Amino acid sequence: MSSDTLNPAKRNEADRHRQKNWFQTMLDRPEIGPLGVMLLLFGMLGYFSIPEGQFSLNPFSGEGFNALGIRNNFRVIAQLGIVALGAGMLIISGEFDLSVGSMIGFAGGCMAMILKWGFAVIIPYPSFADGFTIEGFRLFEIQNVSPLTAILITLCLTLSFGWFQGWFIVKSGISSFIVTLGGLFFLRGLTEVSYRAFNKKEDQTAGSTTVTDLPDIKNIIEVPGLGEMEREAAKSLPNNQLLEVLKTAPESTVAKLTEQLSYANEKVAATKTVLQESRMTQTLQRSLDNAIQSGNEAMQKMLQAKIDAGVQVPEVKAKAVTDFDLAKAYIDTLPTARPVAEFFGGDILKPLFDWLYYTADWNVNNFGNQFAPGLYACVMIWLIMAFFCYIVLSKTQAGNWIYSTGGNLSAARANGVPTNRVKISLFVFTAFCATMFAACQVFEVNTADTAKGNLKELEAIAAAVIGGVVLTGGFGTILGILLGTVIFGIAKEAFFYIPGVDGSFYRVFLGAVLVSAALTNENIRKRIIGSA
Amino acid sequence: MSVQRPSIEVRNLVKRFGSFTALNGIDLDVYPGEVHALLGDNGAGKSTLIKALSGVHPPTSGEIKVDGEIVQFQSPREASDAGIGTVYQDLALNPLASVTRNFFLGREIKKGLGPFGLLQMKEMNAITIAEMKKIGIHISNPDQPVGTMSGGQRQTLAIARAIYFGAKILILDEPTSALGQKQQMEVLKTIRTVQKLGNIAIILITHNEIHAQLIADRFTFLSLGEVIGRGTAQELEGDEIKKLMAGGAELGNLKAELAA
Repeated sequence: MSSDTLNPAKRNEADRHRQKNWFQTMLDRPEIGPLGVMLLLFGMLGYFSIPEGQFSLNPFSGEGFNALGIRNNFRVIAQLGIVALGAGMLIISGEFDLSVGSMIGFAGGCMAMILKWGFAVIIPYPSFADGFTIEGFRLFEIQNVSPLTAILITLCLTLSFGWFQGWFIVKSGISSFIVTLGGLFFLRGLTEVSYRAFNKKEDQTAGSTTVTDLPDIKNIIEVPGLGEMEREAAKSLPNNQLLEVLKTAPESTVAKLTEQLSYANEKVAATKTVLQESRMTQTLQRSLDNAIQSGNEAMQKMLQAKIDAGVQVPEVKAKAVTDFDLAKAYIDTLPTARPVAEFFGGDILKPLFDWLYYTADWNVNNFGNQFAPGLYACVMIWLIMAFFCYIVLSKTQAGNWIYSTGGNLSAARANGVPTNRVKISLFVFTAFCATMFAACQVFEVNTADTAKGNLKELEAIAAAVIGGVVLTGGFGTILGILLGTVIFGIAKEAFFYIPGVDGSFYRVFLGAVLVSAALTNENIRKRIIGSA
Repeated sequence: MSVQRPSIEVRNLVKRFGSFTALNGIDLDVYPGEVHALLGDNGAGKSTLIKALSGVHPPTSGEIKVDGEIVQFQSPREASDAGIGTVYQDLALNPLASVTRNFFLGREIKKGLGPFGLLQMKEMNAITIAEMKKIGIHISNPDQPVGTMSGGQRQTLAIARAIYFGAKILILDEPTSALGQKQQMEVLKTIRTVQKLGNIAIILITHNEIHAQLIADRFTFLSLGEVIGRGTAQELEGDEIKKLMAGGAELGNLKAELAA
């Protein structure tokens, strides 16, 4: 009865699928479009940022991709990337979270306030002892909260809020758009109210909406013999104390630091010499131009001869390395006493960036000093999270559940997938992402502000969509989300450097890219389910 | 065949929704290796009956025996654990996901911690290809999205999945209704292949008496929640089937009305 027995040579249904070679398979991947746009933007940023008049094929010679440019651009990308991962996974499961931006503000505020004033659980109760008042019973209180505790307490609050939003959405059946839009207003309002209530000085009627004057927690170090203090404070210690500190340094460290400091001093001196030469030449050139204008030929000849002979300036002598310099450099190498704060707000890849300065002679600023100390830690956090998201989404059972929950909810349910639990978990995960974002920001800059994270929810959704995630769910990859994030993060910089073009065109560009990406995604989706 | 014990026996099954009696005392026996066609007009109670059998709506009264044991299902999960595999019209497939991911949806083979266990894709791919082949469909690429398959292939995928996960009683809800002519034939072939496996009892719900005649060994006709006729393929003649399909006498009346 089967077709094989009737006619063994007959084509079977499977043959009707075009066999593709690796190149066609690659072109069919939904990430190929975003990849192209990303490379275009990288090219734009690299080449347009090379100063006018200089020609170079090396895209790393301009401002966009010099060491500092890389450091700053990747920070913007990574911060957006952290929330885009959560938003993207949630969209793949068929839901939205618009409260991410407000959650960032809320989490940052929580952390900063807990770090500043400690944490207490207070149970209010009515008291009739002295008329009617509301009294507070202090259940417990922690002062001098460590960064880790502050993050954990904040996570408790944000994750429960994320859980509640998810639970409410799956139980009530109300669209996540509305519920999380409510969350957006609710959390932002709650954050502002809390700031004003707690962040109030005695003489103020209304509190401030920023928390400043937090110590530079990631740079608190244990100075030998003097205890814990901020790095900057340690570096401005009186001279005799600096020398005491230096005495505790191991000899090998001192030798290495001496070498590095003298290299830096020589580099600075050499740069200064070149700088003075070019300044001198410019002055002579200007005088020559004046002489040509005024028609003073004798003067012209004299100046021309001087320029042709080449300007000679006395070589700038390199500064000698003093013990105080060594002590300060040694203090810079002391490890942090708050590794958690360092993990979120510190720098990574410092040895690489040191190597780029001392050995590769690239990470150099205009004055001959080291340009960038490293990359922001948020880049590492972004990449770690991306790796885990990739494994979960494409290699685990949970990933299959996420795709099927978004792809066909009733089918997933009929096959025993706990779709409600999948969705709620992902709402919790977006809250986690928002909290990680906030932690990076708080520990980087040691301030918090109610306006932090504004519009990030929409940017995260846009990044995911540009990266090939379909808004109706069931379709998208982590690689795509990463590409979309890079596009979104770098467009502003790339457009900034185009000569004669208003920088705000980057928004026009992103808008167009977003809509065409959505159209492409939808077409791919239709092509896949179209034969139904 | 009559010496065999039925895979599933239904006795005097009643299902009421409030004051509405959807099923009023249904009896049904389905034997292994047999296709049992369940026919009837819209609203005859076919859907309610299969929902009672597959644990979606627990019956009000009456008795269901699977392999001689009385069962009472509180959920579709319990029914499927007892060996009742239901392939609904919508097939419960995710068109955007691959064949393998659909085949193992909710029952993935994994290594490691809970839902974060790593999928064993190679093993799952091999099983999917082998199981599909068993009932007559060759898939070259188990990574292809289900959305790119024909309707008949999808039907086959859903059937293969139900069988692989232990269905001894396969309930097919209108498997040919949304398909083109050629694909309908493909699905009927698949059903015949499953029938030949010999150990699976198939309940085929259909509107289409031609398909039923082509493939069914036994027929049960429902109308207004009651059995109005039953018999083997040999016992029933073509016209009788047509008449019973339309709910008995109504077809004759219609002829008269149309002639007038």
